[in-house]
Amino acid sequence: MKTIVAAALLLFQVVMIVYARFVPSRYFCWAPFDIQTEYKLQVEVDGRTLSGKEVRARYRRPQNGTDNRSPQHVMDIVQGYEESYGRNNPARVVMRYRVNGKDEQVWRWPQQ
Amino acid sequence: MLPVNLLVMAKAIAIALLLTNHVALLPDPFLPFIPGLDHLPPVLFQRTLQVFFVASALSLLFNRSVRLSAFVLGMTIIVSVLASKAYYGNNKTFCGFILFLIGLYEPGKEPWMIRLQLVLVYFGAGSNKLLDTDWRTGVFFQNWAANRLHQPVFIAVSSYLPPLVLAKAISWFTIATELGLSGVFLVRRLFPLGIWGNLVLHSSMLFFTGSTFTMFFYAMTASMLAFASWPVRPMLVIFDGDCGFCALTKGWVERLDLEQMLEWRPYQSGIGLRYGITDTDASKRLYLVNGDRIYSGFSAFKMMVLCNPISYLLTYTVLAAPGSGDSRFRNIVVAVLLVLFSPLFQPVGDALYALVARNRRSLVANSNCSIE
Repeated sequence: MKTIVAAALLLFQVVMIVYARFVPSRYFCWAPFDIQTEYKLQVEVDGRTLSGKEVRARYRRPQNGTDNRSPQHVMDIVQGYEESYGRNNPARVVMRYRVNGKDEQVWRWPQQ
Repeated sequence: MLPVNLLVMAKAIAIALLLTNHVALLPDPFLPFIPGLDHLPPVLFQRTLQVFFVASALSLLFNRSVRLSAFVLGMTIIVSVLASKAYYGNNKTFCGFILFLIGLYEPGKEPWMIRLQLVLVYFGAGSNKLLDTDWRTGVFFQNWAANRLHQPVFIAVSSYLPPLVLAKAISWFTIATELGLSGVFLVRRLFPLGIWGNLVLHSSMLFFTGSTFTMFFYAMTASMLAFASWPVRPMLVIFDGDCGFCALTKGWVERLDLEQMLEWRPYQSGIGLRYGITDTDASKRLYLVNGDRIYSGFSAFKMMVLCNPISYLLTYTVLAAPGSGDSRFRNIVVAVLLVLFSPLFQPVGDALYALVARNRRSLVANSNCSIE
């Protein structure tokens, strides 16, 4: 039984390594420090721009920061929050980011 | 029970977790990977995890139900990872998985599940880099080293080279090393190569970035114990019974030999002859017999250190004590250990050993008493 559980855990990771080839996120597939995402979040709630402290409290991520993983991980947190905990207090979010120092890109929530 | 190497490995990780105050990072549920976890009372959830985390880590360190303790400690980290996307990280996930697998270890069997975990980590990391254009072209590394880390050595060296050449070379070296290690760890006779590859790779990352990547450095290096061939019965140490310095050394080493892995016998008893070691040879240097392998002098000394759990527990305590930030002290300790145990240091170690051995009778009084 123990061997089956251990093997299942390893198999799960094999599946996630393969799955990562088809999606922008990198969960449970061992891609540590493989991407440098520098980002800035501009968050507006009820027409008011949130401060850095408020952004951190909302998403548990700094307003301006570097994530050592895919930008999709930051987007997942913002989107996940807005679709669940923030549903009654919706925000408009503009995320400006650079991947590995390349040209700036923009992602918005709600998505247009 | 766990084999000594797996127990030491779990304890080393537990020490690093405790000393880096990882308990403070354990989260309340926030955007969990498993829906519904965030419906649990957040404070109760977090406190429960923290209590189980500390209790299982301490229980492991004090040899109480070690497999269960490793399993519970691993589970607290896995549950934390699953409960919070904000907490999620490769280093934490790895710690959780490896402790979980140690907890599932079945006595008497080879720890292949634990070894395969390492294979998967290196394969995942290497293949992800290989398939990433920014890694293949050096763009990632150039940005990371020059713009993010402001690494002075990298910036200085790359300024003499065409753009991206150094970054590309390091990127490809990393890819080759990670993919190579994933293969090396599948072949038993290549384990020593893999262990050295792991130690050099992760120590280089530590020196280059100044970061342990939270738990990654500790957990990845400690995991090499799953590939170490640990002695299954006490090793025989053949020493000069007429030498006061040797007796003094023996006394100190025996005090630290809590697992009683060393059986000391003076060469004057004739024990060496059973292993083809003449009295003349044994009078010049210490010998250590481990199964069918015989070590002498500096090599024997290294084996005594490497096969003593205290060496690892002390090392990880010293390394983790400065906390999670950059630490010159930690870097120096790692560098000294790497050099000391490196094959390249062997001639120097042999020379130092010979110097001490030649003068051992003048180092301590009472050096000519014949053994009973």
